[in-house]
Amino acid sequence: MVALLKRMSFISLLAIVGAMPVFAATPVYKLHVDGLACPFCAYGVEKQVGKLANVQSVDIEIDQGLVTVTMEPDKTLSEADAKQAVSDAGFTLRKFEKSTN
Amino acid sequence: MSIVITRRTTYPCSPTLAWSIGLMLGLTQIAQAHEPIFTPGAHVHSKGGHELTLQYGRDRSSGAGEAETKQEFSLEYEYGITANWTIKAEAPLVDRKVNGNQSSGLGDLTLGTKYRFIRKDLPGQQFSTALLLQAKLPAGGDSKNPRLGSGSTDIVVGLFHGLESRRWYYNVAARYRRNAQGSGGLRKGDKVLLDLVGGVRPVLTKYKEPDTVLFLELNWEDAQHDSLNGVNLANTGGSELFISPGVFWTVGVYAITAGVQIPLAERLNGSQPSSDYRFKLTAKYEF
Repeated sequence: MVALLKRMSFISLLAIVGAMPVFAATPVYKLHVDGLACPFCAYGVEKQVGKLANVQSVDIEIDQGLVTVTMEPDKTLSEADAKQAVSDAGFTLRKFEKSTN
Repeated sequence: MSIVITRRTTYPCSPTLAWSIGLMLGLTQIAQAHEPIFTPGAHVHSKGGHELTLQYGRDRSSGAGEAETKQEFSLEYEYGITANWTIKAEAPLVDRKVNGNQSSGLGDLTLGTKYRFIRKDLPGQQFSTALLLQAKLPAGGDSKNPRLGSGSTDIVVGLFHGLESRRWYYNVAARYRRNAQGSGGLRKGDKVLLDLVGGVRPVLTKYKEPDTVLFLELNWEDAQHDSLNGVNLANTGGSELFISPGVFWTVGVYAITAGVQIPLAERLNGSQPSSDYRFKLTAKYEF
């Protein structure tokens, strides 16, 4: 009986460890961008930010001037890189926020 | 209007031909994305950004017993060297018909660069001010009748300022075109172009949804007299004012623009054809 419990505990531990990547943090960054006015020019932001390493997706809400960047699990985006990408697109990064999904 | 010396009988090309070349040159203008149809704006591309534009233009002028219809298909490429510096090149195919004579082929090439030296970004709006330097190269056939190119290398400098916002747009532009002497000893008169534009986005759409901006432009052009071997041609030059409604429609990285220039007023020297209309349609792809 004890052996059975030990075996079950071991299997449960393995299951928890195996599931860890699924629950790994997916960093999400909110870039508040000034100068965004039209959808056609916003493509430049998507292109420049999307080229940064480990970026999973870029979503843009023009009315709010908000660029939401989702990174690959456990990867980070530095404010300096974000600022440079937005600048290369021809706009200005006003505020940089990090949250986690 | 000033009085100038006229020696029409000795000219190897007629004032009509000179006028039609002038019309053709005046229409050689590189359009850009985010901008009105006939007025160059201050916007530039993002760093490393490419844009391809396919353009169709149709212009007609008539009067003084003459008529010209010109059609032009052009391919234009633009590239953003930095977020404030764009270079561009344009190659047109031209078809011209003047009083029953028709010719078609490659027109003059245009190379240009635009540098935005002032940019102010605010939430939902961007103010830009830029300088343009553009050269038209004599690649078009100048031995055909009517001519497809001027045979000269001409320079355009321009200063542009504009606002892009979620709802409203405005642009002001000033350009000066310095023409050199072309083949046959003909030198087109230098030209000043001033533009004033208002625009509105009637419906605020989301990113990647179809987006429409409506423009209304006022375009004023003033050309000096053409000259032939240093002698001014009487029936050339003068001013024209156009009102130009247009539309800029985009979806994703694709854009279509269309507009027509309608003459409002003119003050042309002597007797010469005047513009009936100028129509332009473009398709753009950004990558």
